[in-house]
Amino acid sequence: MGLWVNSVNANPVQRDHIEVELVSRTQAIVPGTTIELGLRILPETHWHTYWQNPGDSGIAPTLTWSLPENASIGEIRWPYPERIEIGHLVNYGYEGEHVLPMTFTPPPALVVGETVAVSVDASWLVCRIECIPGEATLSLSLPVVTSQINQPSQFESLFESAEQRYPELQAQVGQFSTEANQFSVRLPRTGVLTDWTPTSDRIFVTTPNVVDHAKDVFISQGETWVQIAQPLSPYFSGEVNDIALVAVDDVTQTAYTWSLQKTDLITEAAQTAPPAYAMVLLLALGGGLLLNLMPCVFPVLSIKALHVVSTPARQQRPQAIAYTVGVVGSFMFIASVLLALRAGGQAMGWGFQLQSPLIVGVLIYVFFIMGLSLSGFVTIGGQWMGWGQSLTEDHGVRGSFTTGVLATIVASPCTAPFMGVALGAAVLMPWFLGLGVFVMLGLGLALPMLLLAYLPQLGRWLPKPGPWMTTFKELMAFPIYLSTVWLVWVLARQTSASAVAYILTGLVVLAFLCWLHKQPERYRALSGYRHSLVAFGLIAALAMLASAARTPPNEQEQDTVWLNYSPETLQAARDDPTQAVFVNMTADWCVTCLVNEQVALSSDAFKEALKTNQVVYIKGDWTRRDPMITDYLASFDRNGVPLYVFYPKDGGPPRVLPQILTPNLVLEAIGNSQ
Amino acid sequence: MKMGNLCKVMVAATALLCLGITPSLAAPVVGQPAPAFEVVDTKGQLHQLADFAGQTVVLEWTNHDCPFVKKHYSSSNMQNQQRTAKDAHDVVWLTVISSSPGTQGHVSPEQADELTQSREAAPTAVLLDEDGQMGRAYDARVTPHMYIIDASQTLVYMGGIDSIPSARIADISEATQYVMEGLKEMAADQPISESITRPYGCSIKYAD
Repeated sequence: MGLWVNSVNANPVQRDHIEVELVSRTQAIVPGTTIELGLRILPETHWHTYWQNPGDSGIAPTLTWSLPENASIGEIRWPYPERIEIGHLVNYGYEGEHVLPMTFTPPPALVVGETVAVSVDASWLVCRIECIPGEATLSLSLPVVTSQINQPSQFESLFESAEQRYPELQAQVGQFSTEANQFSVRLPRTGVLTDWTPTSDRIFVTTPNVVDHAKDVFISQGETWVQIAQPLSPYFSGEVNDIALVAVDDVTQTAYTWSLQKTDLITEAAQTAPPAYAMVLLLALGGGLLLNLMPCVFPVLSIKALHVVSTPARQQRPQAIAYTVGVVGSFMFIASVLLALRAGGQAMGWGFQLQSPLIVGVLIYVFFIMGLSLSGFVTIGGQWMGWGQSLTEDHGVRGSFTTGVLATIVASPCTAPFMGVALGAAVLMPWFLGLGVFVMLGLGLALPMLLLAYLPQLGRWLPKPGPWMTTFKELMAFPIYLSTVWLVWVLARQTSASAVAYILTGLVVLAFLCWLHKQPERYRALSGYRHSLVAFGLIAALAMLASAARTPPNEQEQDTVWLNYSPETLQAARDDPTQAVFVNMTADWCVTCLVNEQVALSSDAFKEALKTNQVVYIKGDWTRRDPMITDYLASFDRNGVPLYVFYPKDGGPPRVLPQILTPNLVLEAIGNSQ
Repeated sequence: MKMGNLCKVMVAATALLCLGITPSLAAPVVGQPAPAFEVVDTKGQLHQLADFAGQTVVLEWTNHDCPFVKKHYSSSNMQNQQRTAKDAHDVVWLTVISSSPGTQGHVSPEQADELTQSREAAPTAVLLDEDGQMGRAYDARVTPHMYIIDASQTLVYMGGIDSIPSARIADISEATQYVMEGLKEMAADQPISESITRPYGCSIKYAD
């Protein structure tokens, strides 16, 4: 036995800052079995050698074998590496003694008592900050013995720890894309990922020159997937073959690996890589800012802005702050409800408020009264709803707060197109990060007011207050009435003509109450009945609202051009190789959706293109809640409508179209299906 | 009138916001204007990118103690490329040293000239980038790290010196010499086919 120990320990080679040796896991070879060989590497303290992907610099060891005839050696089974930071670069490698193991298959006909000799030309790079390349020819002779007397060698423990660090190959194949300057990987949330999510500093891509290793890894997750993204290396050449991802579980110190396939599934930049959190926040801020220009918000904002500017400077800031608090608070309230409901397992997305006919009904009342107030038909005084005061004479802090709340309520239907990305990301984040996105959205909405208060020079751009303001206010009533009409239409789509009748009756009652409100000075006779009339009227209005909300939806009249979405319909259409599929996820309260349908999806040219290209048009209507559609949206990382997806005939990967469609864009997408 | 003004305010605010979020990315991009630089050479002469407008410029990051640099100098591969670039392609070849004082590869002007002489190198000039400003502007990571800038001062190549990342001289003859190939393609008025490659070598020892 002593003889064999010597034979496996034949050749440690000393080079600058490193010792290398060819070693075997067992002391001998048993005929008909394979054995483990390994390159044992012992760098000096603080020096390191490299993994298969060395990172931003460095080189992995290379081995060139000389083997007996009919023998073979497998690839190195790389143990997962450590992350080593060198200045502004990141390397992947090993510090300390380790073995890189391989499986050796000896020649088939071996006789006990023979020796088998192998040798290898090894070259490596060993680095601290500076690097020293080295090379050596290492050899090893192993006796052939019977299985009874083969023993582990002294290197068993090194092989053991290499084995523990060898990533376990997962059955699921991940997908990767290199679009938008990001290397993004999507893994199915099954197997080990069911209840574990990798951490960003323990993720390694196996191929060099693909990612920028020093850049942050961004991890996001949905119910069915985990997505990992890192910026591409500036030296990425565009080609990737045979790439895998390794991730290490910090708790168990177990490593897993997934082989990856290229996909074009995700074509939009924002989806290819989940935008970095900071970018999501900025998008949210920008989206909030854009909301100010929406027809339903603009009247509220502009009148408020004029009043704030015309008040003494020292009152402006408290008012702007109160307004901001009102906006941000309301956003957080709605977001908390949304996130809480989602956490409770409800399939919901942004815009969910408008899926309830009751809330749409309430909004109709609010818009209508607001319109009446702007028209000067009624001056809502007293404590009756703060927004009324703020729109007219009261410039107090409380009025500003309620204007903020009102702005948020009226803004919620008008989700600006690129808010979809931020909100989609927000609901999938941990709740505290998600709330941050909604806060930024609110800040964006409140920003013009804050700017006006804190940068008084902006106020000088606004015209001086004067009698024209009354005219302006009255003018602003008309976009509000139009918004009301739109909401009535949404309600009609959600319910039926009866509900519209109820709600319009409610509006008439409200108008009557307003009229009544103006009368007492002139018609004393009425005053006795006034209180009971008001009470009765309010009850009547509420009853109308409740009735409207409870009306069952109409059977939708079927348009022959499209099919209603269900997962089965989609699958059936996709399974037919003679047909391509165009999916449109929409909702009546989604302004962007309606504009797109009008502009791009209702023309004769579009219908013609569907026919000539044999495209099945499937439409999912999310006007009311529909978990099937929520799931479908989630499968594209979306949490809101619109979503347009095109599936080519050949069963190839689906293509997501932008959220703002043009006729040409759609025709091109459909036309390219052949 | 009123609405117009308010719109103006918002457009201005949006514009401000957009300006604010544009990240200042210094990393060079092939096909884009090359990053500017202003560095003194071993003779004390100041060189700026703009000085070389109308000429092709090759940048070579170096560290004479780096084994990968040694590979290409002791085999004369680098010197031959410098001469070919100059003689056949009329190229301005700038060797850049970004090692900070006290780190491997840092040299005085005299030492740098001595190295040029003893190695029979033929750069147009050796630039001393002690503070690493030029290196960082180009996101130079290793030595040798190579760049080609065309006559219109557009970056047309960035990456390694050749295609086999090793410290073995024997590999040079097997490898594609990217800079030479690139200059040939430019001379034939063709786009450079491999314009971005993996740079390999020793990491550059920048000042913190």
